[in-house]
Amino acid sequence: MGRYAAKRIGFALITVLVAITLNFVLFRALPGDAVSALRCKACTAAFRAAQRHDLGLDRPLVTQYGLYLKGIASGDLGSSLRTEAPVRGAIWEAIKNTVPMVTLGTVFSIVFGIIAGVISAWRRGTFVDKITQQTALAFYSMPTQWLALLIVLFVAGAVGLPTSGLADPSIDILGDASTWSILVDRFQHMVLPSLTLGLVLYGDYSLIVRSAMLETLGEDYVLTARAKGLSSWRIVWRHGLRNALLPIVTLVALSLGFVIGGTYTIEFIFSYPGIGYATVEAIDQRDYPILQGIFLLVTFSVIGFNLIADLLYPKLDPRVVSS
Amino acid sequence: MSGAPVISVEDLHVWFDLADGGELHAVRGISFDLHPGERLGLVGESGCGKTTAILALMGLLPASASVRGRVLLEGSEIMAGGEDTISPHRWKDVAMVFQGAMNAFNPVQRVGKQIAEAMELHGTATGRSARLRVAELLELVGIAGERQDRFPHEFSGGMRQRAAIAMALACDPKVLLADEPTTALDVMVQAQILELLVSLTRDLGLALILITHDLPLIAQVCDRAAVMYAGEIAEIGTVHDLYADPRHPYTRLLFAATPDIYGDDLVVSIPGSPPRLDHEPVGCPFRPRCDAFLERCDTVAPRFRTVAPGRSVTCHNGDPA
Repeated sequence: MGRYAAKRIGFALITVLVAITLNFVLFRALPGDAVSALRCKACTAAFRAAQRHDLGLDRPLVTQYGLYLKGIASGDLGSSLRTEAPVRGAIWEAIKNTVPMVTLGTVFSIVFGIIAGVISAWRRGTFVDKITQQTALAFYSMPTQWLALLIVLFVAGAVGLPTSGLADPSIDILGDASTWSILVDRFQHMVLPSLTLGLVLYGDYSLIVRSAMLETLGEDYVLTARAKGLSSWRIVWRHGLRNALLPIVTLVALSLGFVIGGTYTIEFIFSYPGIGYATVEAIDQRDYPILQGIFLLVTFSVIGFNLIADLLYPKLDPRVVSS
Repeated sequence: MSGAPVISVEDLHVWFDLADGGELHAVRGISFDLHPGERLGLVGESGCGKTTAILALMGLLPASASVRGRVLLEGSEIMAGGEDTISPHRWKDVAMVFQGAMNAFNPVQRVGKQIAEAMELHGTATGRSARLRVAELLELVGIAGERQDRFPHEFSGGMRQRAAIAMALACDPKVLLADEPTTALDVMVQAQILELLVSLTRDLGLALILITHDLPLIAQVCDRAAVMYAGEIAEIGTVHDLYADPRHPYTRLLFAATPDIYGDDLVVSIPGSPPRLDHEPVGCPFRPRCDAFLERCDTVAPRFRTVAPGRSVTCHNGDPA
């Protein structure tokens, strides 16, 4: 176990290093930079050169790389090219908005996806299975932005929930709103984007859980368990789901990794000022430091959650360590 | 064999519903008795209904199957009430070693725990006494008792097979059903397993039904054998009688089709293939492949008749009626 864990952690660290480097190279390899995106009457060639000099874009790549590494090591991700505010603060603001919203949606999809998948596999071929599967497939294959628009158009009005922004701009205008009502307002703004994400992921989960469960329920040890006299609930729980957990954990780790990344289309349609929204804006402005910061963070979180999954596997399946 | 049979099967039928609305008559009325300590071989080609018949005894067929017939366990009918009457006996009185028993263990649970699971469920032993019993069972099949805390993947194929037998013995069953318990094992391990099965029936008085398509294996292990064809028992009798004096042409041809390393006879194959069972066959199902058919074989299905004590056959040859 110790060796296995050390190996996994080692791999994760190497991946992080590679990602850091790629993150640097990628942005230098792209055509154009922040200065070339400037459009103004005063933008003469000399002005642009001066700007590049100020931003350090005229230095040799190796020097830039060194500075970049040093910055990351000290937690400094640079400053936004547009607002000149530190990237760290800007990203932190966006994360604070994104994480609760995406977590809500992901938890929703995991809980309902697993329940639906298990029931569907258990009652294979029945009406319940068919309905569950068709619904899951529909949500799975629906383009996210389209589902989001449908929800804005048809669901939001019916249930009376806000469709844009993080909070009601007028809620605390007099400074007398209670913390509770502010929280409720925040939550209400979160519900629809979360629901959109949750439904899309729900399709994913229930389909994968179903097929993983069907596979294990067809195993010889499940027939043996039946022969031993186990009730079907106990078989599904102790011998089925327990073995189907491996692919499920992988999927959970993957989607949790992307929690921080937010969801570009959903945040954009709901004008939700999270990481996804910030990414789209930064791309628009060619605000490289922000983009780099976001990419780095998403990479770290994906690698981190995968590492957690890797470290969990041996607890779920004793064969993982020895193989 | 003297005394009362431990299990009697009377006119057992199994049908499967097909997706197209039809029915497949997989087991077409089989009957046999099994006495304590007796070893019965069930032999036949793939698809002749061996496994289906045995799964029916355990009440383990899928929902698409319907079963008719009587199964008497020590004189009391266990089939009539469906799941309610079968489940108390399952594993407690009638246990099974499955085809591919190497995969009978859940890979993520310890072997001992899975053996104990059956005991706890049927209330024969719990906690510490279950652990002791598991160790005892593993020793019985030649595995060190402390290995019960290992995971299945830490056992070799042969060990897993033996552990599966230990698991089947967990609740002291009266009847053990073994479906191809030695396929996929090398000959040395195969010999060990067979020896183990024989000694268990001798020492514990266990009755064994061994399913296989391997005739020499039956000859090695079993006292009696039932040759199955197209969902019926073509012939049943002692292994010696079946070999020395086969009454059904299929039995004779089956023995002739078995290679013998000492003999120099050519191995004969039986031409043709078994009939499809999604339509009831007319006449004798073996008629198209038979080398000794009579005129009535085309139209009249032969009956399963007793020709000598413990000896029955489904063939018109020698039937005066």
